[in-house]
This record gives sequence, C-alpha cells and structure tokens, in this order.
Amino acid sequence: MYSPEIESLLKSKNIKIGDRIRIAKKDSVHEGLLMPRIELGDPSSVVIKLDNGYNIGIKFEKGLNIKLVERGKPIRFLPAKIVAKKDEEKPTVSILGCGGTIASRIEYRTGAVFPAFSPADLILSFPEIKNIANIRGRKLFDLWSEDFTSEHWKIIAHEVEKEIKAKADGIVLMHGTDTLHYTSAALSFMLQNLPVPVVLVGAQRSSDRGSSDNAANLICSTVTAASDISEVTVCMHGSSSDDFCFVHQGTKVRKLHTSARDAFRSMNVLPYAKINYPSKVIEYLRTDYKKRENRSLKIDDKINENIGLIYAYPGIKPENVESMARMYDGIVIAATGLGHVSTNPSNDKFARSLIPALKDLINSGVPVVFAPQAINGRLNLNVYSAGRMLNEIGVIGHGCDWTPETALVKLMFVTGHVKEMDKIREMMLTNIAGEIGKRTEVESFG
Amino acid sequence: MAEEKINFSKLRLRCGLEIHQQLDTAEKLFCSCSTGMREKDSIKSIKRKQHPVASELGEVDVAAQYEYLRNRIFNYQIFRNETCMVDTDEEPPHSLNMEALQIALQVALMLNCEIPNEINVMRKIVIDGSNTSGFQRTAVIGLDGHMSYKGKNIEITHVSLEEDAAAIVKEEGENVTYRLNRLGVPLVEIGTGILEGYTPEEVQDIAFNIGMICRSTEKTKRGIGTIRQDVNVSIRGGKRVEMKGVQELNLLSKIIEIEVKRQMSLPKAEEEVRAVNEDGTTKYTRPLPGSARMYPETDIQPIVVQNEFVEKLKKELPEPWMKKLARLKSKYNLSEDLARQIIRSEHLELFEKIVEKTKAPGATVANTFISTVKDLEKREKVNIKRVREEHYIDIFENIAKKKIVKEAIPEIIKFLAEKPGETATSAIKELNLEPLDLVELKKIIEEVLARPGLLYEKAVGLVMSKVRGKIEAEVVMEQVKKLMK
Repeated sequence: MYSPEIESLLKSKNIKIGDRIRIAKKDSVHEGLLMPRIELGDPSSVVIKLDNGYNIGIKFEKGLNIKLVERGKPIRFLPAKIVAKKDEEKPTVSILGCGGTIASRIEYRTGAVFPAFSPADLILSFPEIKNIANIRGRKLFDLWSEDFTSEHWKIIAHEVEKEIKAKADGIVLMHGTDTLHYTSAALSFMLQNLPVPVVLVGAQRSSDRGSSDNAANLICSTVTAASDISEVTVCMHGSSSDDFCFVHQGTKVRKLHTSARDAFRSMNVLPYAKINYPSKVIEYLRTDYKKRENRSLKIDDKINENIGLIYAYPGIKPENVESMARMYDGIVIAATGLGHVSTNPSNDKFARSLIPALKDLINSGVPVVFAPQAINGRLNLNVYSAGRMLNEIGVIGHGCDWTPETALVKLMFVTGHVKEMDKIREMMLTNIAGEIGKRTEVESFG
Repeated sequence: MAEEKINFSKLRLRCGLEIHQQLDTAEKLFCSCSTGMREKDSIKSIKRKQHPVASELGEVDVAAQYEYLRNRIFNYQIFRNETCMVDTDEEPPHSLNMEALQIALQVALMLNCEIPNEINVMRKIVIDGSNTSGFQRTAVIGLDGHMSYKGKNIEITHVSLEEDAAAIVKEEGENVTYRLNRLGVPLVEIGTGILEGYTPEEVQDIAFNIGMICRSTEKTKRGIGTIRQDVNVSIRGGKRVEMKGVQELNLLSKIIEIEVKRQMSLPKAEEEVRAVNEDGTTKYTRPLPGSARMYPETDIQPIVVQNEFVEKLKKELPEPWMKKLARLKSKYNLSEDLARQIIRSEHLELFEKIVEKTKAPGATVANTFISTVKDLEKREKVNIKRVREEHYIDIFENIAKKKIVKEAIPEIIKFLAEKPGETATSAIKELNLEPLDLVELKKIIEEVLARPGLLYEKAVGLVMSKVRGKIEAEVVMEQVKKLMK
C-alpha cells in the first residue's frame, strides 16, 4: 500500500495499478506503468516500471504531478489450456496444493508472480509429468507452512481419502517446506492401511526462477506417487545438483538447512529410495516399505494439539519448565546427548536439577517425552546416572530414535487417543508408523 | 588493393553502446565473497538444469524455452573464498553492497544522470545458464544522463548496477561449464542513446571516453574481460543488429565496419544478436527467448537514496579523466597517444610516482610500462610480477643520471625478474651495461667493418649485437653510416 497522500492522489485521478502514467517533478519527468507498492519499500515513493523493464521509486513531494497516459490492461491470467489425453496404460496421480508454490507464472508487465495449481498449468510448467502419469490436480488451500495447524492435517487426510476413492493411484501434496516434516509425520499416523503412495513435496528455491528445485522435486514425486512405495513420504532434492531426489520416510525426515535444495535428510534411517531425475529410474535403498495393494484406507484423525516442545539448555530453570508444561497436556523435551537434562547429582552450587519439577509433572498426569536434540542417534537412558534418574521418574523415550518433531506429533496423536499415563507411555513406546526404529544402519549418518 | 572508403553518414550509420565495467570492490554485490578471481583450481562442481517459467505470454514461449533447455546441463565450478551458497543459489542474496552502490552512483553522477529516489533491484531472466538462479540481479541507479564529445551531446540512457554472470569455461554439445567466481562481481552497465553522425572510430572513442569515466573512480577492475562492450549497428534500410561481448576496445571500430559491410552485402538485414570473434568478425547466435524480462527481486529491500547523500557524492567526485589526460600530457611531456595509453594502464599510479621521484623523462617511463614490460611478459615469458616498485625507481634513477641508456632497461628488468634480491645498479655492473662513449663505439664499428663486402644492414646488426643496451640504436646507425663512407 502507498502512503495516504499517494493513494488519494491516485484515486482523485482515477489511476490504477498497471496504468501508464507520467510523473513530473520540478526537474524530471518519468513515464511508465504504475506498480503495486511491495511491502518492503518506502510507502511514500511511487514505483513505476520504465520502458526498459526497470522499476524505480519516485519520492512523493509537493508539486509532484501525476498524469494518466494510458489505461492499463487488467492483470489476469488465462488458465493454461493444455488438455492431456488420458493414457489408460499409465497410473493416475492426483496433485493437491496445500500451499507452497511449486509452480508459478510471471506476469512480466508488472512483475507479479502468480501461483499455479491446475493440472494444465502443471503440465505447462513441467511437460515431462504427463509421460509419467495421468495428472489430476486441485488446490486444497494456500497457506504458508508455518501457519499450519492440526486442523490442516485433518483436511489433507480427508482429501487424500477422497482422491483414493476417486481411483487415484498415488497422491502428491505440494506443501511449504518449513513444516513439511511435521505434516508428513502427522499423516503417517493418521493415514492407516494406506493402499497407495502419498508423497509430500516442496521447493526450497522459489518457483519463479528457472533454476528452482521445483521441477526435479515435482517430477520425482510424481514418479514416487506412481511407484510401489505405499507410505507417507517426502520427496526432495538429494544434493545441490539436479541429479537425484530422495524418498524419505514420513516420520524420519527433517529439514536441516534454511535454504539449500538438499535440506531434507532422513534421520537414523536410509531413505526408501533414490530417484534419478534425468532418467526417472528408481533405485530402492530399503525393502521394508508397504507395497501398493488393494486395501482400504483408515483415517484416524484424533489429535490433541495441546502439546509443548521445549529445548533443554545450560542453566534452564526448573520452575520455567514446570509452569510452561502446566499449560500443556504433555511436553516433549529436546534433551541433550543420550537423553539428559540437568539433574545435578554432585550438588553443584550453581546447577539446578529438573528432577523434582519433572517428577511432579509426571505424577500429576503430564507426560514428559524426550527426544534427542542432536537429531541424529538414539536415546539411551541407561548410560549415565542422569539418564537413569530420569528414566526412573517416568520420562518417556528410552531407546527411541525419533526426532523432536516426530515425538511432538506422536504425543499429539497419542494424547488424542488415551489419557492415562500408563496407556500414554505404552502407546508412545509402541512403534506405529516407523517412528521408532530398532536398529540403525551404519550409513544412515554421515 | 586499396579499400573503398565507406561514407558512413551517407549510409546513415546508427550505433548504440552498452558498456559493462567490473568494479573493484572487496566483496561481491550480494554476498561477502572475494571479487579477486584469483583461484586457479575449483574445489568441486555441481550440475544443474534449468526449465522455463510460464508467463502471461503463454504456451508458445514456454515451448520454445523448453526445447532450448531440455537437454542442457550446466556445470558450475566452485572456488574457495570466491564462491558461496549465494552464488550456487542455495541461499538468498545478502543486502546490496554499499561500496559498489557508491562507486556506481559516482559513475552515474559523472555522466550527469538523475539518481532515482528509490532503487529497486530487479530479476532479469537469463536462460543461458550463466546465472545459477536463472536471472541476473540488476538495478537502474542513474537515468537521463549525458556527456559531451567533440562539442556534441551524447545521451546516456541509463546506468545500472548489476551482478556479473558466471564466466563460460567450455561448451560441449549440450554440456556447458561455467566458473562461479565471476558470478556476483559488481558491474556497472552504461547505455548510450542512438549515436548518429559518427564514424566507427568515433564510436570507439566514445566507448573509450565512457570507460575512462568509470576508471576515474579508481575503483574499477583492470585487465582483459573486466570491461566488455555491446554495440548495436544499423544502416539505412537495415535492421538493428546487436553484437555482444567485445572485450578489446581497439576492435570496436573494426567490428562496426565489418558489420556495416556485412549488412551492405545483404539484400535485407534481419534483427539478430551476434557474438564477437577474436578477429573482429562476428557470428550469429540464436536469439534467446525470454531476454529483457524483468520482475522485482523481492529478497532485496528497495533502497531509498537520500538527497543529502547524492549532494555529498557530487561534491566529492573524482578528477574527470579529460582533465587528468591534459595534466599528464603537459606535466610529463607526453604525446596524446602515450598519455591515453598510460592513463588506461594499471601502472598509472606507479608511473606518476616514478617520474615525480626520479625526474626521468616521462615518455621513457611511460614506454617502459606500456610496451617494454608487456613485451617481456608476452614474448620472453619474463615473470614481471617479481620486479618491484623499488627496482623501477632504481632503474629510472640511473636513467635520470644518464648512467645507462634507455636501451638497457629491458635487460635490467629481465635480470631483476630472475634475481629480485639484486638491485638495478648491480645489474648494470653484472650485465656490463655502462654506456659506451663514441670513441669506444667507433672502435667496435671499425673492427666489424674490417670484414670486406658487408652491407649496411648486416653491419648495423653485427655492431648492435656487440653493444646492445649500452648505446642508443640511432647513434649506432648514424655512426655505421658515417664510417662506411
């Protein structure tokens, strides 16, 4: 939005965004198309696009004269008109938009970037996908992934069910990357007895750039959705190059970089598969996935969102942990090392033990779940005395190799089902969707 | 066969120039990588693809881009200290480099441009892979400028500040390899209006003038490839043909002339883009779809330029190069040509320092840097970098005191490049370069002439081989002539 003075001047001259205008100041005249004021800029500068394509801002000041030269054409996109013929030999993949713009179109006249969701738009942007599968597509909602709630997970779960009933052979969910791994964990718990692949995909680099990772990610995701891996998975770049994507297990994946293409990594397991982008050939790295089969999907969407996630750190105050935990029906603590928080066995004069606070919480029915803040590796509460003490007071997590995010989502799921501490503990420690692995492949780290 | 003189004004030759000059900043335009481009070996490389981005222009345009990009693989070489994750497009750009902006604004102000109140960085679509992102970041920072040339006004349409593209290493079929250390180095782009009524030589001279204005900031990179010129050419009835990437300024007039002849030989010239070969001829390059399309770079905040800041820059603008040229000519007694060469030389500062300090003749010092040093480096592969400032001062002190003749300079430089621990004075002794007097010279000439039947040229050659570096060649020729009579 422009400043009120500019807005009212434009209004009085009936000038709209996209119109060709002439701006005269005492010693300069510029002509160009009026641009919308992007949120970052100085609201008291009028931005125009010059004929050479550049934008400049002209400071509003007294005596500035704006004149309408030519009415601009309204900015709108005609939907792409490509109609791909259905190929009965090929599987049908349904691509659902849940935010995260994997495809976009640029309107160069004004520089506006529009997200694109229709199958025709997807085929226009990524023509290869029609060679892999028959494509269906629609937008569920358009949301930044940090704005997600468990309600959105439920919507997605039910929409996936609809698509499966409508004979989709695989589903691709386009999703913002920030919380992609929370959604993949949630869907792993919620979509039970899954008959077809459900693949989450995003793009780390914006889709308006020709070098975006969107193309490789979407194409490899479509290959995955058409494959035999009937699991909830995440398919993203495997390296900085555009050479292959990994298919990660939904409960064992985490974003490990703010911006790099290969930000998503499998934690404590190997990815299910590696997909060669140029050749589209799948190389399976594991065999323990459920195969595509005619079985009926069961949706279990009982989720209790009221769970907290706290990071343990030096000097953390027991009373803060306790008062925070009281706001929740359960907390996950991203613990240090093999599963530790301060227990102060040596009675150091500065150290503060969390034992009494955590014991009170557990005794009063607030489950305390540990996950490794080191992300890689498994908790073991038997090695050090701190671990043994924590295990004794009833902290849940010994032997688990889940990520803090998966532990959080699981505790949401578990407390959505059972309320008693013993039941919670039992269900937490029972593997539901591959979130607890019994053994760790040597190659899974490094 | 005499070349037919072309009447360019009758042909209505119209040219347009776009000059690209790299800036010598400590850091790149949108990250903190070094702009040094010194690393020889890449530490690794990555492979990328690019794909078309759909636009309002619809399906045909996308299809054309898709075909072009379909099988292309771009290999990007990564260099330590000179490539970071911004360059590999794995990280968003950092804030715009303020040092670069300040230099670019100086250039714009010297070209009498108007500075926009708010600078907006744009993404300009580039699909040849020379930018890892698929676009080049560029911002117009000066508009509607002008400069004078031979009393006429040359219009400067714009000055932009942009990131340089990656340098191409090789192209093998659909496999293209680029070096990422050049990507992101700040560049000013200066565009002229239509230049009509000028000969190709004058257009070249205008390009030289613009280059020199950039140079006056003393913050521009020097050497091959640090300044590149695009020129578009049309003649009456022809279409505009753009020639890209002229690295050698002295080729510019030749390129224009060859292009005019090419267009004259065609029944109808088509609008096209041509790449420049080393000899000044050009070859057709496929027009790339999607060029000159721009949209805002939303990762960079628009920059508000305060009036006070511009006024301050205006007051502190560097000495204009024309003034500097005049000063060099009069102060050091240099010819126009020599002054123009030394002003462009990377040794300008050292040249002035030496002449001030040693009082050696300006032309001798200038010639040493412009031709002797270059010749030794190129032809005799002398490692000239080992010759230091104090070596040169030593040499020219000896020249000023007439302890050696200028013909001794190459020998001494060669000696010092090999033994940088030595001094010019010790080189003179070791190489036996004390000047000969006329009596000694005459003695040598007479010895040579004792051989019967010698022709003049042969005799001069024989004498020269005995006295090289010890006496001026002109004196030798004169004396041989005299004594042969």
